[in-house]
Amino acid sequence: MKKGVTLFLLVALCFVNYRILDTRDQDPFLITDYSRLHPVKVERVVEGKEEEQLLHIIKEARDKNLTVSIAGQRHSQGGHTFYKDGIVVDMTHYKKIISFDPAAKIIRVQAGATWKDIQDTVNPYGLSVKIMQSQNIFTVGGSISINAHGRDIRNGSLIKSVESFRLLNTNGEIIQVSRTENADLFPLVLGGYGLFGIILDVTLTLTEDEIYRMTSDAMTVDEYSKYFLNQVKSNKDIHMHYARISVAPDRFLTDMYAINYTVDKAVPLNEHNALKATEDWVIPTKLLFHFNRSFSWGKNMFWDLQTRFFSTQQNTVISRNNAMRSESEFMEYRGVGKNDLLQEYFIPVDQFADFVHHFKTILQQENMNLLNITVRYVNQDEEATLSYAKEDMFALVCLFNVPLTDQEQQAFKKGIQQIIDEAIRHRGTYYLPYVAYPSLEQFQAVYPRYGEFFEKKDQYDPEHLFMNYFYEQYKGG
Amino acid sequence: MNVKWLIRSQSIVTLAAGMIYPYYLLFLKNLGNSYSKYGLAFAVFTISSAAVSQWIAPRLDRQGIQILVLSSVGMMLAMLAFPWVTSYLWVIFLQVVMGSCSAMQKMSERLLLADHTESGARGTIIGSFHFWTSVSSGFAVILGGYLIDWLSINALFYTSALLYGFSAWAVWRTRIANPVTGE
Repeated sequence: MKKGVTLFLLVALCFVNYRILDTRDQDPFLITDYSRLHPVKVERVVEGKEEEQLLHIIKEARDKNLTVSIAGQRHSQGGHTFYKDGIVVDMTHYKKIISFDPAAKIIRVQAGATWKDIQDTVNPYGLSVKIMQSQNIFTVGGSISINAHGRDIRNGSLIKSVESFRLLNTNGEIIQVSRTENADLFPLVLGGYGLFGIILDVTLTLTEDEIYRMTSDAMTVDEYSKYFLNQVKSNKDIHMHYARISVAPDRFLTDMYAINYTVDKAVPLNEHNALKATEDWVIPTKLLFHFNRSFSWGKNMFWDLQTRFFSTQQNTVISRNNAMRSESEFMEYRGVGKNDLLQEYFIPVDQFADFVHHFKTILQQENMNLLNITVRYVNQDEEATLSYAKEDMFALVCLFNVPLTDQEQQAFKKGIQQIIDEAIRHRGTYYLPYVAYPSLEQFQAVYPRYGEFFEKKDQYDPEHLFMNYFYEQYKGG
Repeated sequence: MNVKWLIRSQSIVTLAAGMIYPYYLLFLKNLGNSYSKYGLAFAVFTISSAAVSQWIAPRLDRQGIQILVLSSVGMMLAMLAFPWVTSYLWVIFLQVVMGSCSAMQKMSERLLLADHTESGARGTIIGSFHFWTSVSSGFAVILGGYLIDWLSINALFYTSALLYGFSAWAVWRTRIANPVTGE
């Protein structure tokens, strides 16, 4: 009897589990990206390993009329890395360091190499990456395709540190692209979301690794722009900076704290430049972040704890390379039928506070579950055709927890479109690697050179061999 | 004969083992870039298990319970160590420890089952033993999946260590109650 009941309970548990886990975002036979939205069947996923093999894939795709999509870590969330019935080239295994010249501060790597691979190579030589995302898990090829930016406030966006790259184009030719060779392609491929060819390898310029002292300051949203201009931007010794806005209901979008990394030449680099290999306190911080995700009291507690933590970290010494490998494991989330999705808005420095006030109203009206807002600074940089930094701007990186059902997605999309309307009203832009919630009209308003971008796409790849959902959703006309 | 204590303590062991086993395989696979390296780690496990069995054999009849306790303590330590492993050599070392513990656990479990049953009346007890240990494993593996999704694989290692510690204590307690038969 006891055995029968136990066995029945186990079978029932399996059945309930099957029902809970039977959602589209959990289908192992479909391909999607980090968002787990819109999974589709693809022809196949091929690991890129050799140049010859990649040439062969292009030829095969042309012969069989298949499309090619290019994937790195697949953290882009808007279907940039796959397309229905096409070939997905997974570049994460194409990751050799081809050459490294410490004296010239130049490194050439295959596109699947991650920032971590580069950091591990250059750190012993006292060198560092100029611009990358705040985490080091992304591939160089992927980061270039989205023209990434990070916490460094002196080096602009990623495009600035790229000297040249080799591109495997739609005709199966390998061409060198730089500001002088095939220069037309340079601003198209950088921030081109994989639509112009496969980036094979990239030559990047590096900078010196250095020692920073971390300090933190608390302020309100209204004070932040002034604080940044007077105390951060004007202090040439502050090389890296980011800030956070409170999402805790008690201080919703009013309180902020900023972290500054100020150069300290008095501290010898070699005493602090051992690269941090593991993440500390993952289990408790992950648990706290779950509370932040699920409960109002969790959001209050998480904000209080992080402000308290940073106030104890005043004057901590950290090397640049260690500051550029920020923790990410505690934010990993595998909720079934729900996901944490990013959105990012670029707002001119003088418009920041007013935008945040309007942003707050929309968030409250639409009841959106915002988990975190990080603020970074990007210098004006209009080199890339699809450039987001039209002037000196603050990037508001917003992490939302969102249900993935069609109905909930529609409601969320409505909220996001209202936020983007506000961003546009404040001369702002939004970032393209995320889910395609913005309307075509909003895309065209924010990226006025869209016509040129898609014309060039048609010119360089008339048969649309390189294909993804970004193209499909925003080509227009 | 009463073997409930054995079934209970070994169900806790399978709870701990069942929770970790499938995910542990994934963890190991992620460490190496090749299946051959993965195979090697498992070969080491079997070698140590085989070698240790020969050391245990002459002691088994006298010290079955102590060996069972030792196997759980050894597994607890291995589970506590896994999250801190940073090199393949450490993995190999832990595979040696776990292979030894596996030999100790399997051999003493079989011995105690035989000692506490009589020829001709073993079927029901062995059936019960298998049922409860398998069912524990089933619950454990479902729970393990949720634990990794919610926290991390390290949380699973620590939970498993806790259960191994608990099973060691459960067996040890029985031994104190009756040092000869364990009942």
